[in-house]
Amino acid sequence: MNSPRAAAVLRATGLRKSYLSGDRPIDVLTGVDLEVMAGESVAVRGESGAGKSTLLNLIAGLDTADAGTLTWGNEIVTQKTATVRRNRYLGMVFQSFYLIPELIALENVLMPRRIGGKIDTAARARAGELLVKVGLGERAQHLPSQLSGGERQRVAVARALMNEPPLLLADEPTGNLDERTGDAVIELLLGLCAATGTALILVTHNAAHAAKTGRVLMLRAGKLHPHGV
Amino acid sequence: MPWFLYLALRQLFPSGRRFPFFTAISVLGVALGVALLVVVMSVMGGFGYEIRRMIVETEGEVQVKSRAPIADSAELIKQIETVEGVAAATRYASGVVMILREGRPAFPLMRGLDLDSVERVANLGRYVRVGSLDNLDDDSVILSSQLARSIGVSVGDSLEVYSPLMMERLRSDEVFFPREVKVVGILEIGHQQLDSSMLYCTLRLAQDLYALESTVHGINVRAKPGVHEDDLAARLNGAGLPRGIVAYSWMDSFEEFLWVLNLEKSMIFFLLLFIVIVAAFSVTSSLLISVVRKTREIGLLGALGARASGVAACFCAQGLLIGMLGTGVGLGLGFAALAVRNDAVMLIARLTQREEALRRFYQFTNLPTHTATSDIVLIVTLTIGISLLAGLLPAWRAAKLKPVEAFRNE
Repeated sequence: MNSPRAAAVLRATGLRKSYLSGDRPIDVLTGVDLEVMAGESVAVRGESGAGKSTLLNLIAGLDTADAGTLTWGNEIVTQKTATVRRNRYLGMVFQSFYLIPELIALENVLMPRRIGGKIDTAARARAGELLVKVGLGERAQHLPSQLSGGERQRVAVARALMNEPPLLLADEPTGNLDERTGDAVIELLLGLCAATGTALILVTHNAAHAAKTGRVLMLRAGKLHPHGV
Repeated sequence: MPWFLYLALRQLFPSGRRFPFFTAISVLGVALGVALLVVVMSVMGGFGYEIRRMIVETEGEVQVKSRAPIADSAELIKQIETVEGVAAATRYASGVVMILREGRPAFPLMRGLDLDSVERVANLGRYVRVGSLDNLDDDSVILSSQLARSIGVSVGDSLEVYSPLMMERLRSDEVFFPREVKVVGILEIGHQQLDSSMLYCTLRLAQDLYALESTVHGINVRAKPGVHEDDLAARLNGAGLPRGIVAYSWMDSFEEFLWVLNLEKSMIFFLLLFIVIVAAFSVTSSLLISVVRKTREIGLLGALGARASGVAACFCAQGLLIGMLGTGVGLGLGFAALAVRNDAVMLIARLTQREEALRRFYQFTNLPTHTATSDIVLIVTLTIGISLLAGLLPAWRAAKLKPVEAFRNE
């Protein structure tokens, strides 16, 4: 379990989001409040369609909330600043890995740094180290098509950590993996986050995986509730 | 290297694949268009260049003309030859005549040559295929090849020459007999228009037929090497030529003809450019498919912090790179095709058994080419520009794609 620190890496207050289904508005999030401290790991669970991915998209600044405020560190996130800040502030891991098929594993890991600026020897060394840490040091030169599902997700984890973000968002990262591989990926994810002091928000259906995080929240009726409440 | 350029290169040339099919086909489409443009423009340029050479070789770079016949031409020639840049000058008389051979008439343009000086200005001797310019006297003529063929005469035959002045004389009840002349040469310059209907004779004979006495219609001027024809014409006009006498460069004299040549070239360029445009459409189509196929990767780029402009630049760069590569390959293919053009033409002529027809019609067995730098610059600029435009629509589509929508579609 992570020990909370004074600095909050994420603060969401009163986030609301609704979608139109035909003419009828559907309220997905009805006022989400969430604070995540540096180095903390939080699991978000909920039924399918509860709005977990919507919440993650809002937190990542990929989507705009109808109401509420979002703060990364000390700065309020706006649509204008989200894109550039996301590169350095957030790491993201997705259910479908989303590796760029034309790039070898090493280059996929380097991609966030490439988007954010220049690639230098230090960046290459870090990408190589991250691949070693996720157990893929030998597969750095392989294309995604030459890797298994578990290996691809480990590359995605390394990529998410490339820019040393304070916060990592993982959306069902084991959804496309078998149980054993999924367990290994979660262990890796939690281990690396703990080692680097990166805060983690893990969206998962898997109760066992959620239990390994420092705090478990349930998304019900558009709001977050502590697990068991 | 900016990330969007890096990714564009990687998407065109993925790691581990030596021959990416999409890239190869796209590049080849553009390259074929460029190669065709280079070959056709060079051959058209070659024809134009040959025509220029023929005109200058037979007429000189500058013509000094007047509305009325020029009197005291000997004095005028002296004046012209003192102008800087003039190598030589020769007088001529010209006009339409009728020739008759065994009841078959023809109406060629007669050119009366001053045999004392014509060879210093016009290199006509090299174009006399049968007979010789040296045999030309006041009772003989040299005919252009197609004219000779059309009325069925050859060297040694006689024919009658009628001047338009006969009509004038008939009005005053004078009888004016045609001049009987002997054909002493057949001349072939190598251009259909110049060879179709020309009759060359001495200046004296032309003056007789047109009752010019000692006057002439104009003076052909040869420029010294390196002197531009327009500059020389301007210099002559500024040298105080007698009133009404004007110097024209060969380009001025053949302005309409050159305009038609340029129009033909421009039209062919315009039509062939459509090959590049069609190739560009196929690039657009392929890139659009790529945008749809790569929806999740485009979404991912946004999630990694890439701006929409960067995503757009990535697809624009792919169009640009295809255009640049296609242009490079096309230039190579085009110049390679030009290098083997004569072998190819001769092979086709041999296979179709038309070698003689080719030689007779074009007057050269070697296909002339002249590649103008301006043509290449135009081809390169337009092709790369069109290819860049081809990437714009896919780029716009990709830039519009929001990461959250991309993931939702996934």
